[in-house]
Amino acid sequence: MPALEVLALLAAASFLAGVAGSFLGIGGGVFLIPFMTLVLGVPLHVAIAVSLVGVIATSSGAASVYVRDRLTNLRLGMFLEIATTVGALTGAFVAVYVDARALFVTFAIVVFYAAVHMARTKEETAKERAYRTAPEPRVARRLGLGSVYYDQEDGAVYRYRVDRPWAGFGVSAVAGAMSGLLGLGGGFVKVPAMNQLMRVPMKSAVATSNFMIGVTAAASAFVYYSRNLLDPALASMVVIGVFTGTHIGTRLMMRSRPQRVRLVFAGFLAVLAILMGLRAFFPGVIL
Amino acid sequence: MERRLAALRRAVVAEVEDMNRLIFHVLRGGIVLSVAFILFAFVLDAVSGAGLPAATLLPRDIVREVSRFNPSGFLSLGILVLLLTPVARVLLSLISYAKERDLTYVGITGVVLANLLIGILLGVG
Repeated sequence: MPALEVLALLAAASFLAGVAGSFLGIGGGVFLIPFMTLVLGVPLHVAIAVSLVGVIATSSGAASVYVRDRLTNLRLGMFLEIATTVGALTGAFVAVYVDARALFVTFAIVVFYAAVHMARTKEETAKERAYRTAPEPRVARRLGLGSVYYDQEDGAVYRYRVDRPWAGFGVSAVAGAMSGLLGLGGGFVKVPAMNQLMRVPMKSAVATSNFMIGVTAAASAFVYYSRNLLDPALASMVVIGVFTGTHIGTRLMMRSRPQRVRLVFAGFLAVLAILMGLRAFFPGVIL
Repeated sequence: MERRLAALRRAVVAEVEDMNRLIFHVLRGGIVLSVAFILFAFVLDAVSGAGLPAATLLPRDIVREVSRFNPSGFLSLGILVLLLTPVARVLLSLISYAKERDLTYVGITGVVLANLLIGILLGVG
């Protein structure tokens, strides 16, 4: 069993990951895996396994709150989960064959582009959230993907439509593959895909992403569970820490202005792009 | 006519509310139960000093360890419960859509559940 200091540090880090994860709609793996490998000296595959558990914990803790408070787009989440689960299963399979450096350089560029795009997106006014010139995409209408949500911050109810659903579907498959390959939830792909590509309001995108990442992580988590890669003491600390953190993160998110959530997310993406770029050239250390 | 529309709208809202509440309870219940088992495992470990394993236990070992009140069993049980929470959520959503006769989403949810079950089988197999 790991030393007491290791467990305590991990619980503290997991708490922060839970706060950030529920605020941003991510699982926290992008924070916890580097923390475990760099600071705590945990082997990478164990860190990935423990991170997947953390993603499920963030998802269950945060998504439960967001679903109850009607922020989550259940149908869109379900629709995209087809893509993410297939992506996760595929990612777990092809992990051995992928050239890690090319993968990370590609992702660094894409994530950085997403960061810039997100930071430059204007404030979501009610008009922009509702305004559409083109007719609703056929599949979005057939599947009833558009929805409505209540924003606690300004006390208003917003109805929105989902654009480019198939593009979002494709990107979600990539998000799932990231999960299978790296032990992440894929939220850092899903939130921009929903908010920037499919024009889902930021808070709904965050809530729906939290909802989805648990399923995505669960698709590959059982493999790690049964292959003796999951350290239960470490995983327990992560679960408890993350669970506590989600209480704070969800409250913060619901009370913030959507633009603030988006800007924080853009900042997070920029840092992530740098980390991925570093990872391309210093493998086995960060991710 | 207007009253019928209003009643229909209330019924639809009620259905969505039911689904929201169901999912909330499944997700919340899953992680709370998981945390409860984990904390209980640590209490047991403090009392018995039996020590904790380096890797998670397989289900049949969990049953054995739990029946002996060993902390390792409860620890693995808590983690397994958490891993199964998203699966439970998808399953219950499937049943919920089936009750609403929403065949499209029964299909969509079914595919997701199938993928999850493949993931579990690949894990156990």
